[in-house]
This record gives sequence, C-alpha cells and structure tokens, in this order.
Amino acid sequence: MDLRCLCLLSLLLLSLGFPPISALGSVAGTDEDFTEELLLKPLPDRKVLSHFHFETSAPHTSVYGRHHRIFPKAVYQLVHKFRIREIELSFTQGRWNYERWGGFDSLSSQNAKPPGVELWASFDVPPDEVDLTWRNLTHALSGLFCASINFLESSTAYSAPQLVPRFNLSGIRYGSLPREAVCTENLTPWLKLLPCRDKAGLAAILDRPSIYKGFYHSQRLHLVSSEFGPNEGVGAGIILVQTLTTVIQPDFQSTDEISLQPSWSISSIFGRKIPGQCVLARLSNVFLELEKGLVVELEKLGLEHVNMKGLSKNPIFELSGTPDRLVGEVSQKSSVFYEFNVNKYAVDDPLDLGITWKLPMVWSCLLAPFHATRFLMGSGNERGSIAISLRSLHSDLGLPSSEFESSPLAKHGCTVRVVIFQVVPWYVKVYYHTLKIFIDGKTYVLSDVIEKMHVSPSEDKLSPGMMEIIFRLPCDMRSATIIVDFDKGFLHIDEYPPDANQGFDIPSAIVSFPDFHASAYLTDKSLSNESLLLFRFQEKNHVQSYTEVLLVPLTTPDFSMPYNVITFTCTVLALYFGSLLNVLRRRVGEEERFLKSEAALKPGLLPKLLTKLSAKLRRKSPESPQPPSPSPPSSSSFVSLRLLLKVILVAVLAIVWHYYLNDN
Amino acid sequence: MADAHQEPPIREEPPPPPYPSRATKPGLKRLLLTLTVLLSFIAGFPFLLKSTEIYRSPLPHRSIESLSGSLKSNRPFLPCRFHAVFFSSGHRLDELAASIAAAMKKRRSAAVETAVCGKCGAEFNVTVTMMAATDDDGEIGFLDGDDEAVDEMLESLLKRRGVEGGGGGRVYTVFVMEREGMRRVVVGKHRHGWIVGRVTESEAVEMIGGIFVEYFINGGKEGGEVIGENGEFMPVGADGRVVLSFSLLNADPSDWVYDWDFQKTGEIMMAPVVEALAPVANITLESQVLYHTPKSSLSYWDEKLRSYVFSIRDLPFFVNSNEWHLDTSIAAAGRTRVLQFVVYVPSAKECPLLLRLPNGEISMTNGYISPTWGGVVVWNPPECLGPTQDPLAGRRNTGTPRKTIPSMDLQKVFQVFVGQLRQLFGLKSSNVQTTGLGISNFVASENGFTEWELDVLFRHHACSNLDSCVTTLGSLSRLVQSLPRMIVMDEIGKQVKLSLEAASLAQHNASQGIYDASAVSSRKARALAEDAFFHPSIMSISYSSFEHYFAIYMPFFAPVSMHVLLAAAKELKRYKQERAKYLASRARTQ
Repeated sequence: MDLRCLCLLSLLLLSLGFPPISALGSVAGTDEDFTEELLLKPLPDRKVLSHFHFETSAPHTSVYGRHHRIFPKAVYQLVHKFRIREIELSFTQGRWNYERWGGFDSLSSQNAKPPGVELWASFDVPPDEVDLTWRNLTHALSGLFCASINFLESSTAYSAPQLVPRFNLSGIRYGSLPREAVCTENLTPWLKLLPCRDKAGLAAILDRPSIYKGFYHSQRLHLVSSEFGPNEGVGAGIILVQTLTTVIQPDFQSTDEISLQPSWSISSIFGRKIPGQCVLARLSNVFLELEKGLVVELEKLGLEHVNMKGLSKNPIFELSGTPDRLVGEVSQKSSVFYEFNVNKYAVDDPLDLGITWKLPMVWSCLLAPFHATRFLMGSGNERGSIAISLRSLHSDLGLPSSEFESSPLAKHGCTVRVVIFQVVPWYVKVYYHTLKIFIDGKTYVLSDVIEKMHVSPSEDKLSPGMMEIIFRLPCDMRSATIIVDFDKGFLHIDEYPPDANQGFDIPSAIVSFPDFHASAYLTDKSLSNESLLLFRFQEKNHVQSYTEVLLVPLTTPDFSMPYNVITFTCTVLALYFGSLLNVLRRRVGEEERFLKSEAALKPGLLPKLLTKLSAKLRRKSPESPQPPSPSPPSSSSFVSLRLLLKVILVAVLAIVWHYYLNDN
Repeated sequence: MADAHQEPPIREEPPPPPYPSRATKPGLKRLLLTLTVLLSFIAGFPFLLKSTEIYRSPLPHRSIESLSGSLKSNRPFLPCRFHAVFFSSGHRLDELAASIAAAMKKRRSAAVETAVCGKCGAEFNVTVTMMAATDDDGEIGFLDGDDEAVDEMLESLLKRRGVEGGGGGRVYTVFVMEREGMRRVVVGKHRHGWIVGRVTESEAVEMIGGIFVEYFINGGKEGGEVIGENGEFMPVGADGRVVLSFSLLNADPSDWVYDWDFQKTGEIMMAPVVEALAPVANITLESQVLYHTPKSSLSYWDEKLRSYVFSIRDLPFFVNSNEWHLDTSIAAAGRTRVLQFVVYVPSAKECPLLLRLPNGEISMTNGYISPTWGGVVVWNPPECLGPTQDPLAGRRNTGTPRKTIPSMDLQKVFQVFVGQLRQLFGLKSSNVQTTGLGISNFVASENGFTEWELDVLFRHHACSNLDSCVTTLGSLSRLVQSLPRMIVMDEIGKQVKLSLEAASLAQHNASQGIYDASAVSSRKARALAEDAFFHPSIMSISYSSFEHYFAIYMPFFAPVSMHVLLAAAKELKRYKQERAKYLASRARTQ
C-alpha cells in the first residue's frame, strides 16, 4: 500500500469521525496481524504503571473470507451479527489519579476509565434498529465476558450522546455500570481472545493476585470495523485493540531512604519474568518510558542527553538489560522510550526488565488543563445538587506551556472549550433550568459561557437524563463550578437493587477539552511497522478525564411494608365493619329489659360447661356450683372464653387449610 | 368488639321466664339486614375471584393428549415399497414376492420391533417383475464393468420405466441377473442394488430380503443396533439447526505452527454434505485455529511403531476442556447444536501420535468421535516423521515459520470428518467393512450420503422429531396444569397450536410417503414446541403462589366473614325462637 493511498484512507476515516485507527504498514489488508507490547513507566508517587497493548487485525471479508487463523472467531461473529462499526468496552477497578499519574498524555486520555464497566458502541444499522441491536449486543457481551453488561439493556441505562468530541458518529450508544465488580472472571475471557492467551508471550506475566491487588487496573477492548458502511472495503477489515493498564506499588526494599524511588523489576511487580514472545506475534516489544518531568530532572542533574551511550554509566539509575533502541520525542525535554525486543529472549533466558535508582528523584507528571471533580451538595432524602468543579492546574493562566502551541489560543481574551457529558439515572430528577455556573466565585450568565448544549431530560422509568454542554471558559480563570439541582424520586418496590441502603451510583461524568490534544510527537515515521503502541500514542486524542462516581442515598422503604400495610388496613377495616354490623343489629330496649331481670337468669348448658372448663384451666376447684353472677369478673371470663373459642376456630381452620394445601 | 357480643348469646338459649310468649310478630328488619350482608358477600365472591384471576391462555390439553396417545399406539412411519427385478424368465412372481416378504419378516423379527423410529411400517409391500435383458432403448448387458457406471445405468433405466406406481413412499429395487461367473452383490448410491452371477432362486430371495431390511430399511446397521434410539443421539438442535465448528489445534506453537486453507478445502468438501442434509438440519460451518492446546492425558512411546501411542482407554481424557477454548458460537444462539470437529496437531515431544484401538491395532483414521459432541482427528505433521531434530533449535528466532497443512492431507482429514459426521448422525462411517451378507461393494456418493441412507435419516428424523415434540408438549401441558396460578401467555398458546398443526401435517405427510416434507414439518413442530416450552415468560416464573394470595386476603376476609356469619346465624336463630314463641302464644290465645 503506498503512502498516497494511506493518506487518502486516513482522511476518509477522519472525515467520518473515526478515531484515526487506520491501515497499518505493509501487512494490513492482506493478512491477519497480531502484535503484543508492554509499556512500563515509573510514576512520581513511587508506583509503577504497566500498560499491555495487544492488537489483532483481520483483512476484509470480501478479500480474505470468513475463516481466520489468528483473529478470534467470537469477535468476528460479534461484528457480523450486530453489524458493529465500533465498540469500546472497559472494565475498571480503582480510580485513575489524574494529578499524580498524568492527565495530559495519550495513555491517560485513552486508558483512564471510570470504575466499573463502560461501553460505547456504534452500529451500521437503520436508526430504528439501533436500540434493539444495542440490547442484543449487551447480552452477547455479558455472555462473552462473564459480566452483567446485560443490565445496560434497559432503556433507563443507556443514552445517545451527540456532542462528545470523539464520537460524533450517528447512532452512538453509551452506557456504564459503575458498580460492576471486575475480577479474574472478566480477565480470562479477555485473554482468550489473544492467540497465545496467557500461555506465552507478554501476557504470561499477568499474575492475577498481583494485578488485582494493585491500585488501578483497567482492561479495555476497542473494536473498529470497516466491514460495513460507506467505506466498505477500505483499509483493514476489523481491528481489535486490547489494552490492560495497571498501577502497582512495588515492594519497598530500602526503607532507610524515604526519598529514594523504589527499585523494581518485572519479576518483583508481577512475580514472573517474560518467557519470550508469543510465536504468532509480528511484534513483541517492551518499552520503558521516562516521562517528560523526569527527563527534565535528569538533565538538571547533568545527564545531558538521555541517550544510549549515557545510559550505561549514569549515576542516577541503572537498567537491567540493555535496550535495543531509544525512541525519543522530537522536541528536547520530552519523554523517552527505551525499547527491548522480546524475541531475543526465551524460556531459559527470560526478560526481567528492571530499574534501580541510585539517587532520589522527584518529578511531576503532565497535568490536564483543569482538574475536574464532582460532588453532591445538600442533605436529606428529598433534594440536593450536583456540582462539577474545574480547577485550573496550570498557573500560567490555564494555558499549557510549550507543547500546546497547536491550540490556537492567545493569552488575552482567550477562551477554552470544555465539554461536560453527564448521564443521570431517572430517579435523580435533575432540573436543568437550575443550572448555574460560578467562575472564580462570581455568577455568570449561562448564555455567555455556553457554546452548545444538548439536554434530554429523564423520563420516569424510560430514559435517563443526559446533559452535554460545550462551555467556553476564559483561559485565565482559576476555578469554575457548575451546579444543578435535583429531586430524588421514588422507586417501585421491585426496582430496588439488592442492598438498596448502600445508595445509588451516578456514573462518572466525562469532562473533555477539545482544544487540547494529547499526542506524542515521535521522531520515527515508520512507527506503525515497529510499534503499534507508540503509533496509537501518536494519534491525536482529545484530552479528557472522568469524574468521580457519586453515591446518592435514596429513601429506601421497609421492604416488608406492603404486607404490613395490607394486614394493618385489613384489620382496621374488619374492626370497623364488625362493629358497624353489631350496632345495626343491636336491640337496645330489649337489652335493658334483660339487664333488669338478670338475677333470675340461669346460664345455659354450654356456657356452664365452658365456665367449668375455664375454672379447671385456672386450677380452681370445679365444685363451685354457684352460677356465675352477672358481676364483671364473670363477664370478663366470658370474654376470654370467647377469645379462646376464636383461637381454636382459627387453629382448626389453619389445620384444615394446611391439609388441603398438602393434598394439592 | 367484645362488648358488642357480650349480651345476647347467653340469654337467648332458654326462653327467659318473664317473657314466656310474645304477642307480636317478630320483626324481620335485623334478620333481613344481616342476611343481605351475608348474601352480598357471597355474591361478591365470584367477582373477587374474577378480579384476581391470572391470565392463562387456554392450552389444547386434550389434543396434546390425543396426539401423544396416537403416536404411542401407532408409530408414525413413512411407507416404503420394495421392488425386485429378475432379468430372467420362469419365475412365479406372486410366490417370489411372498417369499421375499417372508424373508424380510424373518429378519425383521430378529431385529427390533416396529416400536422404534424410522422404520417402514409393519407390512412390506413387495412387488416382483421380470424384465428382458434387452431394453427397448438398448442393451442392458450383463451388469458388469464399473460399478458406478452400472449404478447410473440402472438409475436411468428405472427413470425411463417410471416404476413409480400407486401409493406414496420410496421405491427400493434390487435387480437380479443370473449368469455364469462370480457372484457379485452391489448396493448402489441411489435406491437400488443388484445381484449378478450364479445364484439360485432361494439364495436370491434370502439376499434380496437381507438387502431390503439391513440396508434400505435399517441403513446398514446390524441387528440390534438402531439409529439413535428415542432420538438420544440426534445431533440436531431443538431449533433444527446445527453448527459444525472446525478447529485446528496447535498443541505447542513453539514447535511448529500449522495453518489450513479452510476456505478452499473445508468449505468445498463440506458443501455437498450440507446440501444433502438440508431437510434434516440447517447446517452452518465455521472455523478457527487455536494455539497452546495440549491434550490432557499423556501418551507413551512405542519402540516398535516408532511413535507415541494413545490408547482408547484414555480417550475420555484426550479433550482438554481447560485449554481447548472451542467455545460455543455467538452466531448460533439459542438451542442450536454445535458439533465440534477438531484437528489436533501434536507437539514435537509427542509426535507422531497414534491412537490404539482396544484390539491392539492402530486406528486407520487416527480419530474418534464423541456422540453429540463431535469428533477429533490427530494429524501428524511431516516433520516429526523425518529425522528427529532438537526441539529447542528453532526457538530463539523471531517465531516459528507458519506452514500450511498440505491440501492432500487436509482432504483426507475432511474425508474422516465426513465419516465422523455420518457416525454422529447414526450411520456407519463407511459401509465397506460390512461383511454380513457378502456384499461385494457399495457405491459411494459424492456428498457422503447415499440416497437410501438419506431416506433412512429422513424417516428417522421425522419420527423422532414428532416424538420429542409430543414429549415436550406433554411436559408443558403437565407443567401448566400442575401450577394453577402460573401465567400462560397468549404467544405460548399460539405456539402450541402451531406446533400441533405442524405435527399433524407431518403425520399426514408421512402417511402419504412424502419424505422431505414430513421431515421438514416435523422439525418445525419440534422447534415450535421447544419455543413454547422455553418461552421467557415461563422461564421467569413470576406467578404469585396461592399462599401469597391467601396472605393478602386473609387479614380482611377472616375477621369480617366471622362477624357476618355469626351475626346471620344468631339473627336466624333468634328469629326462629321468637317466631316459635309467637306461634305458641297465638295458639294459646286461640
């Protein structure tokens, strides 16, 4: 494929709004391809980030047929059954720390995901079938990945965003499940899509306990297909990108020097070494990234250029193993990547990349232009408000320094676009007219700062509320807060999830900055042949970050309430009914006459017997032959007798009923 | 409540002395009042029941029962007709026909009785004709030469003659040509066979009966063996679809990586099979290549054979379900049956791998089947037959070179798969080994299934589908009847009705002898019955139980009904007493 064709292709894809995952190198389009790569990166807060990147691609069906040797059958069938154009599915546990792990690099803007499950999908089906396809897809995915993705099936769980910058295709659906617990049962099916699974290659070091005890891990599956739609037959047919990002704290070996970064190696993080590459992989590389902040610090300490020569005898850190190549960024003072080719290693000579620090180092990571947080205000079970607060992280008036010259902003009178996308479940009834914005503590008129807005209010038990707003905020602001009020709704008794008292989660909001692109400008032009991981980093990505998941406590009823209400009401009604009936058939005159002549009265046979019985029961002598006087005690004994009778009657009824039921 | 009741009951028992009689007629007001309340309660009861009723679509329980009864007493069968042709004169045709029928009966009585599915019924319709060896259109010859040519020639002869007579069903023919020379018995790929050579009449009769019963009726299975008794081994999903999932397993890709050209070889070789079986099942194909899939049990080295041997005894441990991610197919959701066909490429340290049969011989196909699961074939790559090389030699380079299974080898593998598919469908993998009747040859069909074998399958499937349809409907009807408060959706009722209609259509077609149509409509009947049984509204049983119902209404109705009943009883009693008093006093005054 020549260069012109490639350009045309990427133009086509870009114009269609695809993230520019395009045809790659010479292999694409003619044969299946599989690459595996791993990026390791020390983080400023003594943790280590490891990012696995597996990419499988299959040529078009029209060219290659429907039988594959590497591409997973399940995914191919999924694409064809649901006519998928693009899906992105992520399983995440833990929260990405934007302030310490970076918020302005490709890695974080692509791979930092909200906790739980998030699913984006776009289909090539007529608009009226999109929802049905989405529902079927959620079921298929939940079967494929052993997760409760099928909860996204209900129309109250997903929405159709329109303004989110990366997904401006029509027919997009988005849903997320913040409370989904992610564990090995989700990782195993994900690994099954790799040709070598975790039996060989880089995935062999995925030791489950060490991954899941980390601070953050996110497994992602991004599927782009050009099998259908207007650009059918162009570029690679289906591209499946699987990434796994983990942040793990290596064990401290030396506790005496606190400021020293921990020394670590692959085996100390994962407990295993890399036993060579997967034989089916075209590329198998491990990269060690030293990010920009660290490079700057290193140069301050005298390491002029962190190049291959200077590496062997530098006084600050030591690498185990010699890198095969150094991939640096174009501009000085940028991050560098040390490349290790795994194909030189084998089972008896595994790769165990590590870094040993000799001097304490402190650096900071690249931060997003604004730090976004979201919190709840108000108290009680009736109403509250959601606040999203943006705090400028760059002291120089919100304008990031040198490498953002691409953004066409001047220092004075300039504005920054911020897109906020938030989906709220229907039982949190947001009043969009109460939307208020405070910039540096002052209220602003909304029309001054909003460029575009797309709001779809929630419908009870039908659809969630969705808010997409493009703000234009002044560059020199320190902070901005967006507040919107809501009422808490009531759910039907069987709509409550188990453990309803825990509260209800509002999924993360997405805050993205379309004016800023996180992309690494690397020297090598031929990266797509040499590293798809770095190739993906070079792509233009909007900087975006996810806010926290909110936990809203709703009024939870006592779940035995319906029965209590039924019994209580029925008893009251029965009482009322009985006394009314008695009053109706009461003969007052006759009673009075009776009362007068009561002395001469003789008790009947049955009451007599009953009194005897009750006397016996009370261990009184039965030989009290006195007929019961009409004094109050006797009347009370009658009452208790009657009660006893009733109880016996009910018991007999119950027994008869029980036998009747048993016979059934 | 208590004080309301306090007074009357005690004092009413004996008529109080101060009022031994009454002069006025006792009033009816209170009595009427209480009785009205009681009656209105009783009258309201049906309304309550009606209002709390659960919707249940009426199911035709009776017709389900009658269908299952009729199927039990009278097995459905597709009629077959048998036709013997003698190329010689001097036979008494009626006697011959009777004796052939008797021979068939004899064989049949030794075999399983008509209670089994897929037979031609209890009666045999045998006709015998004589034909001149010279046809109007040309010489028939001595039926020698190439079996296939003879087969085609006889087929065209039958077509020309138009042997189809009255009555439905398939016609099976055996030609007999008495002449000098070796006796040769051949079963063709259409619906006929022929006997050539020196043969006496009684031998011929015996042999014709044998061919009819053993092959044309039973499909080549000997004696007691019967194709999938009660449909247990029916490899067709409940919705009448089958997915054949072909997987190539590279046990250890670090030794060698083999690929196959499924597109060219597999699809082309399987296509006629798929087409031939279309009335029985809707078949789709899919393929995948998997890596790092060792088998789970070890083989041992056999010095004499210079290879690793895996004995049949260990076969249950061959399939390694932990590592073989064969998976069900997403494309085939629901109740579609997936049959796995696996080509296993052993790793260098267990290559060549052979399977040893229980009798000590080495399996010719190097494969085996597992009923209802699928089949496995071990394919030994050519490298391991050559000089043994250091398995670690090639490890350090950038990956093992990819090789493709040679097309010839792959064709052989797929031939084995077709044989395995035949076995999974209940036929013999190949009829050549049969020795029972001294059959010299079977003409094989291009699509793996001869016409008479397909007939056997159609018969069998039509019958067992009806069986399973009736069983499913019967269970559904029993389930619905046993749960009186279960919701039964209209759709279920509709499906049951359609299923019953399809079943009766299939029965009708079967009695008319329309093979394909009855197989298709019986499949539809079964699919609909299963759909009704597994309808989501049944699966998620959200019916309120009787206890629940009782618990909701009891707190109101128990106390209220007590009041109403007691009040009515008391008033009635009092009224009677008072009336008696009144009557008595009136009598006294008179």
